[in-house]
Amino acid sequence: MALRSVNLPGVGTKYEFVTEKGDTIAIFFTKTGTIQMYTLQGGCHTPSAAEMTPIEARRLGNILTGAIIEAESESVEIAFSAIADLRITIHTYTITKNIAGRTIEDLQIRTKTGVTVIAVSRKDKNIINPPPSFIFEVGDAVVVIGETDQLKKFERDVMVD
Amino acid sequence: MEGIVLALFVCLVLAIITKYLSIPPIPFYILGGVLLGQSGLGLVTSTELSKFFSQMGLIFLLFFMGLELKLERISANRSAVITSGVIDLNINMLIGFLAAYFFGFSILESAIIASAFYVSSTAMAITSLIENRKLMLREAETIIWLMIFEDLVLIIFLAIISAGDQNPLIFFLKIAGVLAVLYLIAHYGKEFLISILDRSDELPILFTFGAVLTTASFSMYIGIPETLMVIALGAALATTDPDAFEAHARPFKDVFLVVFFVFFGITMNLSGGIDYFMITIISLLAVASKFISGILTGIFIHGSALSGIEIWGNTIGRGEFSIAIAALFGAPLVATVIAAMVIVTSIVGAFTAKYTGRLRRWMSAPGRRVHHHRGH
Repeated sequence: MALRSVNLPGVGTKYEFVTEKGDTIAIFFTKTGTIQMYTLQGGCHTPSAAEMTPIEARRLGNILTGAIIEAESESVEIAFSAIADLRITIHTYTITKNIAGRTIEDLQIRTKTGVTVIAVSRKDKNIINPPPSFIFEVGDAVVVIGETDQLKKFERDVMVD
Repeated sequence: MEGIVLALFVCLVLAIITKYLSIPPIPFYILGGVLLGQSGLGLVTSTELSKFFSQMGLIFLLFFMGLELKLERISANRSAVITSGVIDLNINMLIGFLAAYFFGFSILESAIIASAFYVSSTAMAITSLIENRKLMLREAETIIWLMIFEDLVLIIFLAIISAGDQNPLIFFLKIAGVLAVLYLIAHYGKEFLISILDRSDELPILFTFGAVLTTASFSMYIGIPETLMVIALGAALATTDPDAFEAHARPFKDVFLVVFFVFFGITMNLSGGIDYFMITIISLLAVASKFISGILTGIFIHGSALSGIEIWGNTIGRGEFSIAIAALFGAPLVATVIAAMVIVTSIVGAFTAKYTGRLRRWMSAPGRRVHHHRGH
């Protein structure tokens, strides 16, 4: 996979690469601020295109890399093919002022709800596996892992505390 | 003052409608101007202020063109750029010139009409590639480079025409002097310029506006064309941080250029009557000659006449640069012919750009092979 990038005057920057299976993907960051993604199946002549805002493009990027970085609430459910009945959900929440200033320990998050806080994103900093003494601040984006029921409990008992 | 406000208000309404229908606004600004101005209802007349605004529009348009001129990039794929550029230049200039000359224009007037006839609208071509989602097509890059080539030809044309009856040696020495100063400033002042552009207060925008205006008025003062010098300023500043300059100059360009188009329409003098026959023939030829150059470019560059249809469809529209030529050099009758050609070609071009995909599929469909098709 060789990535080719070209700067097109008046248009913006183009990134293009051919996948192992012979399909072509081209991304254009246009000067108008939108991002256009084209995919061309190997052997075809007409590409299909999608136009995205920068936020949508970032979201697509997150999906493709398999990570959740966005501050707003969203969730991903993970299922393993070998363990059919195990379903884990990873959810993000934004800390509001009613639990700001309190610690993970003091809120008894795991004992009360069963979920675990696995990461916190504060401004430009990410804290992975925050310690129990970690103090939440307004605007923190927290990443929580658990089962759907546990997450519902977390929303009900902790977030609205 | 009220005139400008009324004209701008009409343009605002036209802008909303044309954006909504995704068609190019330029022909409608001109038509709106004709309707408001001396050849229409006579509601708006040209004033000192409107002249100044129009001039700003033209200057900022050319400054933007300069910012986009990155010559080092052309050398990267020179042969393709030059082949398509030369085909486009020869065919369209020749047909444009002969048509104008045939209708009795002088050699100079014919040359002016020919260059307006030749230069496609960069703004329309690029907008159409983005809006119709054609950026990935291999013809898209050819079209983009073709637009840059046309801009270069336009600069040379401006230089030749503006030299007029001045002593060419002194004229070009003066130009070379200003060019040298601009490049020295851009080269040695790069750090300083970037530090100004990085600020978040009013300084970057004030600096951009000031630099463009100073260059323009200084050029006028020493008697060299300000149009050329603002292009040079743009090209020199493009070596520092072109994106920042574009961002700061965009509001001025967007507003003043609309004033420029609408007042071009307002001041258009149709008292000599309109020769509808001539206007129709020249406009149709403008569509047809880009067809010939497009097909040839398609065959030479991509080995396919169908590619040529794509190139044709996106480069039919003549626009901002043709009007600029008309405003700078055109006598009333020449300006009318160019305006009519811009209106016809830009509207035709908006539709062809949307439907070339369908046209290509139709032409390459099995059982309907037409003689244009040469396969991939």
